[in-house]
Amino acid sequence: MDGIVNALQFAVDGVAQQQQATANNLANADTPGYTAQDVSFEASLQQAIDAPGGGTASVIVSADPATAASDGNNVDTGKQLVNGQEETLQYQTMVDMLNAQFRLISGAAGGTFQ
Amino acid sequence: MSLFGSLGISGSGIDAAQTWLNTVAGNIANMNDTSPTDQATYGEQTPVFVPTATPGQVGDGVTVAGIQEGDTTGIIQFDPTNPQADAKGEVRVPDVQLSSQMVDMIQAQTDFQANTAALADAKTAYQSALTLGT
Repeated sequence: MDGIVNALQFAVDGVAQQQQATANNLANADTPGYTAQDVSFEASLQQAIDAPGGGTASVIVSADPATAASDGNNVDTGKQLVNGQEETLQYQTMVDMLNAQFRLISGAAGGTFQ
Repeated sequence: MSLFGSLGISGSGIDAAQTWLNTVAGNIANMNDTSPTDQATYGEQTPVFVPTATPGQVGDGVTVAGIQEGDTTGIIQFDPTNPQADAKGEVRVPDVQLSSQMVDMIQAQTDFQANTAALADAKTAYQSALTLGT
């Protein structure tokens, strides 16, 4: 994978999926026997960026290893709410960076830099 | 993953919490029902939550698969002034515990709030995505 825009685009998708997983975990916070889902893409993206000649990054969905309560549910509501906030901030930051890249490109193409 | 997928997921969680609150309200409203001892009484209602999921993918929220009806045997109570009382002066009342209903209500309320918070987060993120390229 090469190019800032490509990397950012992949990361935005990844964070959107993380946010979806967080929403899903919270929706199932009282579903008996439900196991929380974790979504990760950071390590894979790093690997793809570092790979000589470009690699492919992927988004991995895995089960949260946390211990389940007596009803078989292992959703930690507090942790999920914090994750939700964090993902929103990450998402906004990456959108800002993408917009900055677009401004650079449009400036280089003869437009304005703002 | 659908466009704005998180919103629908949080919506399903809010719906589920609302259903739970409704059953709690119904249970408390019917706590003091009485019926003749030769008839069944009100059974405590509990929603059955089931995750909506595709294996290997991020889940798609929660659904209420049904409402489970509890024991309709209830408790036999001595209440001779009740017009429904039998020859021994007894009536059948539902076996609904107010304490456990209140705990369920608080849990349902917390669920509702948590889903609302996730919905607000997702909305903020999606709104920022709409500024792309502007």
